[in-house]
Amino acid sequence: MPIQYYIAFAATLFCIGVVGVLTRRNAIIVFMCIELMLNAVNLLLVAFSKMHHAAALAGGGKNVTTGVEGQLFVFFIMVVAAAEVSVGLAIIVMMYRNVHSVDVNFLNRLKN
Amino acid sequence: MHQTLSLIPALPLAGFLILSLLGRRLPNRLVALIGAGVISAAAIIAIWLGISFLQAPPDSGAYSVELWRWMSVANFNCSFSLHVDALSLVFVFVITFVGALIHIYSAGFMKHDRDYARFFASMNLFVCAMLLLVMADNLVLLYLGWEGVGLCSYLLIGFWYETTANVQAANKAFYITRVGDTAMAIGFFLLFRELGTLDIPAIQKLAPEHFTSGSPIITAIALLLLAGGMGKSAQVPLQTWLPDAMAGPSPVSALIHAATMVTAGVYLVARMHVLFQLSPLVMSITAVIGALTLFIAGCSAMVQTDIKRILAYSTISQVGYMFLALGVGAWSAGVFHFFTHAFFKALLFLAAGAVIESLHHEHGIFKMGGLKNKMPLVFYTFLAGAAALAALPLITAGFFSKDQVLWYALSANGGNPLLWIVALLGAFITAFYTTRLMLVVFWGTEKTHVGELPGRLMTLPLVILAILSICAGFIEWPHNMLHITLFSDLVQKVLPPVVEAEPVPSEALFQLIAVVATFSGVFVGYLLYRKNTSIIESWKQTPAMVWLRDFFYTGWKFDELYNILFVRPFVFITQLNKQDVIDKIYAGIVSLFQRLNGIFSVSQDGSVRTYVIGVLIGIIFILALQLIL
Amino acid sequence: MTEQQLMALLPFMVLAAASIVIILLIAFRQGHTVIQVTGFLLMCLVIFAMWYVRGVLPQTIAPLLIVDGFGALFTGLIVFCVLVVGLFSYIYFEEREENPREYYILIFLSTLGAAILTISRHFMSFFIGLELLSISLYALIAYLRTRNNAIEAGIKYLVLAALTSAFLLFGMALIYMETGSMDFAVIAQRLNAAGKSSALFLTGFGVMMVAVGFKLALVPFHLWAADVYQGAPSPVASFIATVSKVGVFAVFLRFCQELHLQNNSAVMMLISAVAILSMISGNILALRQQNLKRLLAYSSIAHFGYLLVAFLPGNNTGVEAAVFYLTAYAITILAAFGIIILLSPGEKDADSLSMYRGLFWDKPFMAIVLTVALLSLAGIPLTAGFIGKFYVLTAGVEQRAWLPVIVLVITSVIGLYYYLRIISTIFADSPVTIQKERSLNQFFYTASYAALVVLTLLLFGIGVMPAVIIQGIKQFLVIDR
Repeated sequence: MPIQYYIAFAATLFCIGVVGVLTRRNAIIVFMCIELMLNAVNLLLVAFSKMHHAAALAGGGKNVTTGVEGQLFVFFIMVVAAAEVSVGLAIIVMMYRNVHSVDVNFLNRLKN
Repeated sequence: MHQTLSLIPALPLAGFLILSLLGRRLPNRLVALIGAGVISAAAIIAIWLGISFLQAPPDSGAYSVELWRWMSVANFNCSFSLHVDALSLVFVFVITFVGALIHIYSAGFMKHDRDYARFFASMNLFVCAMLLLVMADNLVLLYLGWEGVGLCSYLLIGFWYETTANVQAANKAFYITRVGDTAMAIGFFLLFRELGTLDIPAIQKLAPEHFTSGSPIITAIALLLLAGGMGKSAQVPLQTWLPDAMAGPSPVSALIHAATMVTAGVYLVARMHVLFQLSPLVMSITAVIGALTLFIAGCSAMVQTDIKRILAYSTISQVGYMFLALGVGAWSAGVFHFFTHAFFKALLFLAAGAVIESLHHEHGIFKMGGLKNKMPLVFYTFLAGAAALAALPLITAGFFSKDQVLWYALSANGGNPLLWIVALLGAFITAFYTTRLMLVVFWGTEKTHVGELPGRLMTLPLVILAILSICAGFIEWPHNMLHITLFSDLVQKVLPPVVEAEPVPSEALFQLIAVVATFSGVFVGYLLYRKNTSIIESWKQTPAMVWLRDFFYTGWKFDELYNILFVRPFVFITQLNKQDVIDKIYAGIVSLFQRLNGIFSVSQDGSVRTYVIGVLIGIIFILALQLIL
Repeated sequence: MTEQQLMALLPFMVLAAASIVIILLIAFRQGHTVIQVTGFLLMCLVIFAMWYVRGVLPQTIAPLLIVDGFGALFTGLIVFCVLVVGLFSYIYFEEREENPREYYILIFLSTLGAAILTISRHFMSFFIGLELLSISLYALIAYLRTRNNAIEAGIKYLVLAALTSAFLLFGMALIYMETGSMDFAVIAQRLNAAGKSSALFLTGFGVMMVAVGFKLALVPFHLWAADVYQGAPSPVASFIATVSKVGVFAVFLRFCQELHLQNNSAVMMLISAVAILSMISGNILALRQQNLKRLLAYSSIAHFGYLLVAFLPGNNTGVEAAVFYLTAYAITILAAFGIIILLSPGEKDADSLSMYRGLFWDKPFMAIVLTVALLSLAGIPLTAGFIGKFYVLTAGVEQRAWLPVIVLVITSVIGLYYYLRIISTIFADSPVTIQKERSLNQFFYTASYAALVVLTLLLFGIGVMPAVIIQGIKQFLVIDR
């Protein structure tokens, strides 16, 4: 499959995430949308990794490790995303305790 | 050596800091001890430095020490150094030594004042600024000192700020010297544009190569610097602030408005002599201004009735002599006159202060009288100072310096008979008003009861200064008498020697004429104010004489002239602009930004969604920018 | 990994160990005081370690990290800021009911993240450092969890930081696609080989700028700053203003230096646009602000705009100017926040400007420190801020970046207005007395005051004798090359 397909797909996922962040009011769903964006990037990275690897193989190399870092990066992103979610959810729980809602639009006490 | 050099200005600065921060909480004795102590310590260091300078002059002709390298960023380099050569040394010595004596005197003089600490703090700051002025190796630092002394002068003239007149006098001094300062700053800018440096040694080296003698640009620079010096040194036409400046306490008048600050102009011209020599026109202007000033101020001094105003006009007139000397190219004579003048004029002011204090703040000389026997010590010291001012031959310091000035006004390359005649006339006038002052104040009948006599703290400086007023001249004799030229030998390490015009006339003859002028001045004074007072009475009936007296008394009506020339048009313009048209622009800017603030604040509405939109707008903006490029 | 590489990483290992030590201390039920003192000593140890290993620098730990003079300089600055923030934190948290002990774990983790950023030379370390920094910050901002404001600030920061991280990753992915590498040096090499810069790379860089701009609070990604500064506990706000920004700026600077982006007109255009927008909006937003913490946030937006002007030239002067400016800025902002922290009564923060009315007559020491800090922010001569601004201007003029330089000058004038407004409030009549009990150990008050004195002296010291600092910066930067 040409790389453009992957890019288009990932970009679509990313945009869905962005639109979700923009339109949803529930903090948890906003968070899920951000996760969606991260996963779009993961997909992109894996695709590129594969692409570079294939290019290196086509270039005549053997046992080349080109492109491996893209996949490595994906694991890091997953770990970091997990950490982010755990801290994020904790804060959202706190928010629920304080205002009995997870609607981000209720958060507007801090302003000019 | 290097550390001690920086101690000289650092000590007064430390005194200022201590007194201004803690002064109110310290007892008066301690305040006086710190205030006078730091200056005395600086004086001792200065004397020690002077001795080592004389014994073993440094190879470069100057001690210098880099105080502080502020920064050197890319091509911009800014550092401050002190640079003490023979010329600076003379000034440093006078400032610290006379300054120390005046501080000691002030400890007694000001003892009943409730702002004791503020007084000493300002005086210490003044000494620090003045020292920076004369020790600076760079015009920026010099300018800092220059403005610093201006500030202290302002603070001290208005020291008794409860009286409106004092505050007005302080303001007047500030405004008028500011005219000169601005001119000087422009001069510095021009100099920087031309030479690319404000380092004094570098300027002295570069200027002769860069400028052709008499070119318009060097004339402009020298003229602007001269204007700065004229403002500070109260030379015509910027002299009007000095008589009013007498509103400050007497020690202030002695230190700032007689011995040191008013001679800053002399220092500036002497320091920048390289530039002035490149412009013969400005040299002549300097001489003419000096001559004019000494005559105009001398005339005014003849008719004043306030003891301090007499001395103030006399100061203007004596500084005029210095400018005259500088203008004709007799550099060392000008500086020498500064040297002797500092002693006797400080002495006269201090003694006058003692008189005023004892007579319950009485300033008018015609309400004094008969003090000869009541205050003998003050009388004898005042007499020494007056004799030096009148330049009584051979026994006073004033004679030796003034004789040089007179002689070179005629014989130096830049001199001519006209200048000499004016200077001679000045000498006559000086002798006359000095005699008048002495006779009216110390002879005759007692008119005001003498109160408390000055204490030892006040008399000791008087005695020391009196001795110096007599002896300080002996280090430099006229050529045709004794071959002692200690002072000019020292100063000529920095300043060029006098070039005498050919053919040189007989010096002794002209000296004799000058002496005759002095004595006839004394005699006329004696005649009018002691022997035959009816002459004055008859003059009081003559309208022409009354008008003349009034004309002189008001300082040749300069204040009125300025009133018509500057103040009234200014008031007229401000009246035209009652609506404050220009301010509308600023108000417009303010409301524009307030409105902008309102608009921008809308974005800060506290909602997460708006902030996300902000980020998205940002990314769209960035991508759009990429597309355009 | 060679022994020397391990040596070079020593300071960072100590930093990482610091949070573990604190966890252990908590496990053994030690009190706040012990933790505070241990933390302080550990940070000193980091600085000492940095000094100890200076001989082996620079060391490249391929492919992720490079410990060089540049990194050491920024890490030193970061650790210095943490030292001061930690000192102020004690009083702040001791006066509040929350259990403050875990706070120090988070602070040190966050610091580690910032420190990793300064030595990162690879997208992966860049990302990990950044996330370590941000995730700890989420928790730190919402640390006073019973307060609505803190939670609100935490959520706002969380959502926006996560969003911008996603953009960062997207940008990285695009650059990875273009160049096939995540190593800064290799990217630079590939781009050079390709000749002119491709559109894909530019897009990737632009998308990455979102995250950098967010962390540095540059317009138009600045909207969070004021809210977070206001809502977060004051020590955390000062941490965000200094440590987090220094770390991100360091990696951004290294990235641009490594890729020679200064020669890329499109990138420069982008950065100058952001700089100009930041300078203008930051200063205008601050004009009528009545909340001191918000005002400092707006002023920091403007200041990072100024900083970008120094960044534009990309020559040595520019880098020196940027480092110098950051140093001066960090010291200044720490002093200002120090005053806010020390003045804050137990229940809320002393952030309303009305609380500062006539402060001088009530607490002259605090008033003077705050005044000096504000003067430095305004760039008045003889303070560090002036030299910083002057340096930045010199760098900008050298590169003939006229438009940003002119905007800098004009907006500085606008800035003067609101700084002077605060100063005039401080010296106004009719003081408001801030009631505050001093229930704690006197030692920590003394220490905090001493820290304030040191900061103030540094502000003056750098303003009066900047040559010393400039020399130091130059020496460190030489280690680089």
